Amino acid sequence: MSENSQESVHHDAHGGHGHDPHGGHGGDHVPHVLPLKVYIGTWITLVVLTGITVAVSYVDFGTGNIVIALLIATMKAATVAALFMHLLFDRKFHAVILTSSLVFLGIFISFTMFDTDTRGRATAIEGDKPELVAQPFKESRSDEAIKAAVRSQYGVEPAGGGESKPAGEAARPGAHPAGSGEHH
Amino acid sequence: MSQSAEVIPNLNPREGEKLSPNFHVAHHFRDANTQFDSGRMGVWLFLVTEILFFGGLFCAFAVFRSWYFDDFVEAHHYLNKVLGGINTVVLICSSLTMALGVRSAQTNNKKQTVLMLAITLVCAATFLCIKYVEYAHKFHEGLLPGKYFTAEGFVHENARIFFAVYFMMTGIHGLHVLIGMGLIIWIMIRAARGEFSSRYYAPVEGVGLYWHLVDLVWIYLFPLLYLIG
Repeated sequence: MSENSQESVHHDAHGGHGHDPHGGHGGDHVPHVLPLKVYIGTWITLVVLTGITVAVSYVDFGTGNIVIALLIATMKAATVAALFMHLLFDRKFHAVILTSSLVFLGIFISFTMFDTDTRGRATAIEGDKPELVAQPFKESRSDEAIKAAVRSQYGVEPAGGGESKPAGEAARPGAHPAGSGEHH
Repeated sequence: MSQSAEVIPNLNPREGEKLSPNFHVAHHFRDANTQFDSGRMGVWLFLVTEILFFGGLFCAFAVFRSWYFDDFVEAHHYLNKVLGGINTVVLICSSLTMALGVRSAQTNNKKQTVLMLAITLVCAATFLCIKYVEYAHKFHEGLLPGKYFTAEGFVHENARIFFAVYFMMTGIHGLHVLIGMGLIIWIMIRAARGEFSSRYYAPVEGVGLYWHLVDLVWIYLFPLLYLIG
């Protein structure tokens, strides 16, 4: 590519500083051109990292597999963003824009996973004891008070300690079947 | 001669004028730099919406994988790692040629700009062809999403969920590739008309940014769907 010969020369742009009839106020925009070898180097890095990702996938690291895969993918993504997409040489705010979207995405996915991965854990503890939920404080936990609270909160007749699990579970709206991974 | 990243080779203002006859700085911008920067920032804001868009799909993938882990592990073996890997390299190459296309526009090299964009287009088409081959195979085997799933021989019964996620994510990604191809054709036509130069290459840069994002999404899609499952 012919422009290689002038790559390492740094000279001020001569372009239309205010004399150019088409230019607006002041001089023209001066593009920030990276040397060709930066692009080729980035490309090689990406291909190598792809090879590593595929190679690592053949080895069993257990949960490590997904961590390594995501780590390498993030390295590739950072390389593309910084060099191909020019973020490294841009105004810093553009990198802030990208990073903020990734932060939001991180919050979105991690909190969703917090929720879905821990569903059903409370049911195991509270599911058969609606009276505990209805009247958490021991002082007010007389039999009549408990029965009245269960009736009013869950709308079912309290059937006594051991049998109240189905009532409690059925009555709670959107109740999850106990244990994850059994969603049908 | 210092080896610096600030490289401005061969900028002949008259060449710029010849190449971008209709370029001007809009009156509400302080100067050409501000105009260019604003345009680029606008594209980044759009890319953020795209990231969040695909992010929702990735979240769905994470949730379903957590719910149906065994099904996912079994079903993902039916994806062709080799074809997926080739597709990844194809997209990486297209990213390179796209970036080089932007660089060619920056350096007033009209012919090379058109050439680089054309190669990017070819890579994109290759990606879609390989995807078509993969999809055709899946249709043939009955490995389809949700209620259309008819394949036999699975130990776990919910492979349909995996394929629902697979088709949704790669399908929408493929749609973005197609849209990208349309954008590249548009830019290629404009470049052939001599509209881009060192003074004005913002549209090439913008389409380039979009294209790199499409590549980025695939960089995450490939290991998660094909390798990890």
